[in-house]
Amino acid sequence: MSQTFAIARRELSGLFYSPIGYIVLAIYLLFVGLLFALLVFVPGQIADPGPMFQWNHLILIFLIPFMTMALFSEEYRSGRIESLRTSPVTEMQIVLGKFLGAMGFYCIVIASSLIFVGILSVFGRPDFLPVLTSYLGLLLLGALMVSIGLFFSACTQHQILAAMSSCITLLAIGILFQFTAGILAIYIQSSWTWLVRFRQMLNYLAIGPHMDDFAQGIINTEHVAYFLTGAALFLFLTWVVIESRKWR
Amino acid sequence: MTQSADIVANNLSKSYGKFVAVNGIDFEIRKGTIVGFLGPNGAGKTTTIRMLTCYMPPTRGTAKVAGFDIFTESLQVRRNIGYLPESAPLYPEMRVSEYLAYRGRLRSMSRQAIRQRIGAVADMCAISDRLRWQIGKLSKGYRQRLGIADALLHNPPVLVLDEPTVGLDPAQIRETRRLIANLAGQHTVLLSTHILSEVELVCQRVIIIGRGRILAQGTPDELKEQCAQRNKAAGILVEVRGPTQQVRSALGALTGVDQVQVVIDGPVATFRVDGKLDAVLREQIAGTIHQRGWALRELRTSGASLEEFFVQITDPGGVAAA
Repeated sequence: MSQTFAIARRELSGLFYSPIGYIVLAIYLLFVGLLFALLVFVPGQIADPGPMFQWNHLILIFLIPFMTMALFSEEYRSGRIESLRTSPVTEMQIVLGKFLGAMGFYCIVIASSLIFVGILSVFGRPDFLPVLTSYLGLLLLGALMVSIGLFFSACTQHQILAAMSSCITLLAIGILFQFTAGILAIYIQSSWTWLVRFRQMLNYLAIGPHMDDFAQGIINTEHVAYFLTGAALFLFLTWVVIESRKWR
Repeated sequence: MTQSADIVANNLSKSYGKFVAVNGIDFEIRKGTIVGFLGPNGAGKTTTIRMLTCYMPPTRGTAKVAGFDIFTESLQVRRNIGYLPESAPLYPEMRVSEYLAYRGRLRSMSRQAIRQRIGAVADMCAISDRLRWQIGKLSKGYRQRLGIADALLHNPPVLVLDEPTVGLDPAQIRETRRLIANLAGQHTVLLSTHILSEVELVCQRVIIIGRGRILAQGTPDELKEQCAQRNKAAGILVEVRGPTQQVRSALGALTGVDQVQVVIDGPVATFRVDGKLDAVLREQIAGTIHQRGWALRELRTSGASLEEFFVQITDPGGVAAA
């Protein structure tokens, strides 16, 4: 366990040493700040920070791939994977360590939005329960997105390729699926069973529908399960990729 | 296997698809010895090392390191091994002490042990004055020594060093060789290198591999002798102050001598002795000259350096062997 944390700590500090970490943080703050200014901090409106969190995944789709792209790719490219893999640590510890390190940085990124919650509570009295569940939702969302980014980073030694593939995947589950499901909902008739099913499936796989409840202060186990199984699946796939590399 | 062997390879093989990189090699390395691992580029040195350090599993065969099987007890092997990979890859943004502490934590060392050992290995590898530096700002020599310090950090019984002196200046090379030579006794060292003089200076045994097979193994002296016996151009050169004809006939009378030629005539003459070129013959030559009261100035085997041997066996029938 301590070895997992040693790896996590190194990855976390690695993100602080690199400019990418700060760029991600700055863009996130800018985006959340815009949401805050346009949707939340409006005169005469109730003090509800919900909209600020509900759309977070739209920007995270573009930020998380940059956070995670180097996790494995850079180790392959530089050859450091050899010193890592010949240390007395298991492949699972390496995968979890890197995941936790990136999650640590992600937590710092989303925690930066507390500034706006603070501003809001100076001028109004927001309900803190939805704020709490929103952060829980963001945490789960991050686990899924970071594990996807980690997986693609484990697949290639080219950081840019890793970032692009995870970005495309995140775009699909973050925007495309929900958008397609929305269009289908307009045109299909309820008698076209398989198309209805397909629409339901797209809607289930998409991130958006799973985020709404958290912003309203509801913890629905269905949504929790969605994020957790997704994250577990991609962590497992990452482990498979790392494990299989040594047989080549 | 013998009890005192720290590394035992048994029919160890590795294929990449159809290409056979390492083809059934067997060797044993006794505890506390420094063994040179020689071979031309692409001979399978790094592949063998990567299998021994559990970076990749063998296709066939097994090996035991520090008594543990590389396949079934891989974690134990990795705990008992200190490995310096070929390019000594490091994290450029980390500080030296930070990096060593991280490596210590990866090996589950206690906080106190880490602090103590960082001090010890930094002294051994002469990097104490750079502990606060960022790795990216270190010179190649310091980075290489940091890699060795990392390999030594947990005081492992077995050390595997892949070309540790590459990129160092002559003074640093000497320093590093002394460091490695000092490890004998407490550590078993497998030292992969191209530099033959390094092997002669540091190693007690040599394993030469080529095209995935072991071509020769033994002490450096044994290999030189083998080389002299294989090499038709080899001979013993003797420089003596004494009467030329008498010396010539005295040397010719020794057992194992086929022919004695005078290379340079004069009050101090140089002779070339052909025959069974082993250590016994050289001792006999020296003894005879001494007995007769002549003065022996030089006695050496020509055409029998480790370098010559290396070229001969890794390139049989090739241009260089002639």
